[in-house]
Amino acid sequence: MSSQNSNTLRPLDDLIIRIANNQDQQAFIELFEQIGAKLKAYAIRCGALDGEAEDIVQECMLTVWRKAHQFNPKTASATTWLYTIVRNKRIDMARKTKYDVVLSDDLWPEPEGEDLETDVARDLEGKIARTLLHGLPEEQRQIVYKVYFEGKSHSEIANELDLPLGTIKSRLRLAMKKLDTLAQEQMTWLIIILLTNF
Amino acid sequence: MANYHPSDELLMQFTAGQKHDALGVLVACHLESCSECRKRTQVFEQLGGELLDASKEVKFSNGFLDSLLNKLKDAPPKEVESSGDIRLPRPLRRFIPGYFDTLPWSGISRNIKEFTLPFSDERYTAKFYKIAAGKELPIHTHKGNEFTLVLSGQFSDEAGDYKEGDFILADTDTLHQPKASKDADCICFAVMDAPLKFTGFFGRMLNPFLR
Ligand SMILES: [Zn+2]
Repeated sequence: MSSQNSNTLRPLDDLIIRIANNQDQQAFIELFEQIGAKLKAYAIRCGALDGEAEDIVQECMLTVWRKAHQFNPKTASATTWLYTIVRNKRIDMARKTKYDVVLSDDLWPEPEGEDLETDVARDLEGKIARTLLHGLPEEQRQIVYKVYFEGKSHSEIANELDLPLGTIKSRLRLAMKKLDTLAQEQMTWLIIILLTNF
Repeated sequence: MANYHPSDELLMQFTAGQKHDALGVLVACHLESCSECRKRTQVFEQLGGELLDASKEVKFSNGFLDSLLNKLKDAPPKEVESSGDIRLPRPLRRFIPGYFDTLPWSGISRNIKEFTLPFSDERYTAKFYKIAAGKELPIHTHKGNEFTLVLSGQFSDEAGDYKEGDFILADTDTLHQPKASKDADCICFAVMDAPLKFTGFFGRMLNPFLR
């Protein structure tokens, strides 16, 4: 890999595919070195203590090792796939001691048959999300963080920031509008969806 | 295809892994049958991936990687056998003993039955409601939010007609009287954060039974 664009997600894809095809331990180590510390940071940001976060990362990496064959680069980027795994482990680790609770397998059952996904997701790969995140002013980004890391609803965010609900909604709308100008071509359909609902 | 869908706010919270409760199960059931909403959650998953990628790195304690590598040889945990009736949406199967016809329904009235789902959930109450064909619930409003997914049959109220897969949110401003279509019983999966509040005289008499 001598690409000048060493920030692309390609290498992670390749590592996961090598794990899937060859049970390649070296690839596993490289993957861990690239993403492990971020997985841990994510878990901590979601409220896990240091030791709990390490448990979550361990479960997450073991799942990567065992289920690498389920990774499909045509439907999701490596970081998106890894995100879904760490999200699910975070849910399950916190709840495994309780009975009759909802687990991640209930919410996201493994696909039964061929998972026919559209090209839309792949085409948008990374671009939207990256644009969304980095193109946003802090006050708009803060709201997205609160939904993802703290599970806040718009009205809870409004209370917490001591702002009117309308302001939260209009900031999100602004966020989406900003995206519209930044990534017009791919984004049009998404913008329509988001603008009409937020 | 469903005509009524969860809001993007709710889909985003769900995708963020912040709705691992009865409401999450209800959203998951809708997603199983709605490719439109599945596509939207894919976008929110990408956003999650980007948030992960943008996370600051946090160091590991000594020996973490070695101990992780040692575990690679361990046998994977046994997959839980999927159980439950295949006619139910997959997210619900583990929690339901049997199918609609064998559930221990309890009667609110002759034409309205309910079954409380066994989630241990502090925030929400989850129930199935069965409205007999052509019959209606007493007119009522809600103390909080009530999320409903039509599992079987159809019903309508002042605001619209709802069929299998439709996702409906009623709140404190909704005053309605759902009526099942006359050709079949209507079974709904409802998740609420406060009990219904019946408003008419007979409705008020029913209130105690809904607690
Ligand atoms: Zn939908």
